[in-house]
Amino acid sequence: MSSSTVHDSQRFYIEIWMWLVGLLVVGTVVVFLPVPKNLALLVVFAVAAVKAVLVVRNYMHLKAEHLIIYLIVLVPTVLIVGMLIALMPDIAFRW
Amino acid sequence: MEADLTLSPRPDHTGPAYQVIEPDSLEAIPAGRIGLWIFLAGEIMIFGGLISCFLLYRIAQGGWVADAAHVDWQVGTINTMVLLTSSLTMILALASARKDDHAGVIRYLGLTVGLGILFLMVKAYEYHGHIEEGFTPVSGMFWSFYYTMTGLHALHVAGGIVVNTVLLVMAVKGTLWARNGANRLEFAGLYWHFVDVVWILLFPLLYLSLKIG
Repeated sequence: MSSSTVHDSQRFYIEIWMWLVGLLVVGTVVVFLPVPKNLALLVVFAVAAVKAVLVVRNYMHLKAEHLIIYLIVLVPTVLIVGMLIALMPDIAFRW
Repeated sequence: MEADLTLSPRPDHTGPAYQVIEPDSLEAIPAGRIGLWIFLAGEIMIFGGLISCFLLYRIAQGGWVADAAHVDWQVGTINTMVLLTSSLTMILALASARKDDHAGVIRYLGLTVGLGILFLMVKAYEYHGHIEEGFTPVSGMFWSFYYTMTGLHALHVAGGIVVNTVLLVMAVKGTLWARNGANRLEFAGLYWHFVDVVWILLFPLLYLSLKIG
């Protein structure tokens, strides 16, 4: 890797960190703003999801990974979301 | 553009002694990286299961707002900032390793270890405050979830600090470079960033969402 490429990558990582800090501020401040409760919850969790994706894609380099790595991550994620959806009626809503 | 091909010894000992590895092929991925991602898949099940249970019981039972009022969002925000910054220093250590900047690796890895220790110290300060107020893991469902999730996460942070410290010592001694140091840093970094991602999800769940009601 050339020196300029490394320098660019360092700048890129610092930019990602600045985005993460900015999103942290947004996600925290919205809790104390006079906005509807559901909107505030949506923003808080959406901001957290974006931050998580930023770290996984750019710091963990998932965006440049082979398909097999995506599959390794996808399987437990689908299982967890599936379990959450399957248990929701019984435990959360008690239908 | 010139293709970045790799020569690898043939495992089956048939044909030429070396085979050409295409950069996009499965063989081009270091075995350690695949192993690390499989390990992280298990971690997704552990933390995903805990977070799912928290969400299910939160929706089912409601409440918990009075308990959550004792959790200090300002301290949580500081700790989030600490861990986000440690992720930056970890990736900068890897970037330094890839340009053979040994001093940079030592500097950034040292910072990562220091920030990890700071995170645990802040967490210990929080636990101390909660326990002094009388909130222990058996004080109710919220506190059981709080201590289980943050405690398990803190154990993972401690594990990451140990791994990063070992790499730091190797870097200082100069033994890291002869043993594919960049790959080792990459694998340790994958784990450290995952721990960061878990905290990114726990912070709004435990510190912010219940402030909204």
